[in-house]
Amino acid sequence: HIERSKFKQSVEVERSYLEQAVKVADQVLLIVPGDEDAMRCKVVALIRVGDIDGALSTIQSSQKLPIDFSYFKAYCLYRQNKLDEALELLKNQESTSAATLLKSQILYRLGEIDTFVDIYEKLQNCKIDSLETNFVAGLISAGRASE
Amino acid sequence: NPIVLDLAYNCIEFPSLENRM
Ligand SMILES: [K+]
Repeated sequence: HIERSKFKQSVEVERSYLEQAVKVADQVLLIVPGDEDAMRCKVVALIRVGDIDGALSTIQSSQKLPIDFSYFKAYCLYRQNKLDEALELLKNQESTSAATLLKSQILYRLGEIDTFVDIYEKLQNCKIDSLETNFVAGLISAGRASE
Repeated sequence: NPIVLDLAYNCIEFPSLENRM
């Protein structure tokens, strides 16, 4: 019980920090409209607080700015289960490990498990936390648990 | 199907603001 209430407390502390970050970003944006760091902070804080709609509308409002939010936008669309749209956005991006991970998760949801496993086989040498967990999940889903 | 972790979420990071301080 103590562990659980400590956990709950730390989640609430983080949440209030993130909400504060959104407010500070908004204040900066009032003074310096379109400031890239402030825009990025706002979008990240909104995503982390779970306000995906808010993040998307912030990204939408930045359309005329020279800021590349395509990864964040693709991630938000993935969270809203708009998988084809998300995948389309990632096609035009350089294949960073972030973009590759997101692409793999979208393909998994689309049921393309073999492609998912292929991607993880190629990522094996990258130092990404919990990579193994998803690789194993993919192998099990593909009926290749014996590997 | 087994749960696949949302590893892409961990890539949603705040920009480094060091040069702004
Ligand atoms: K833009």
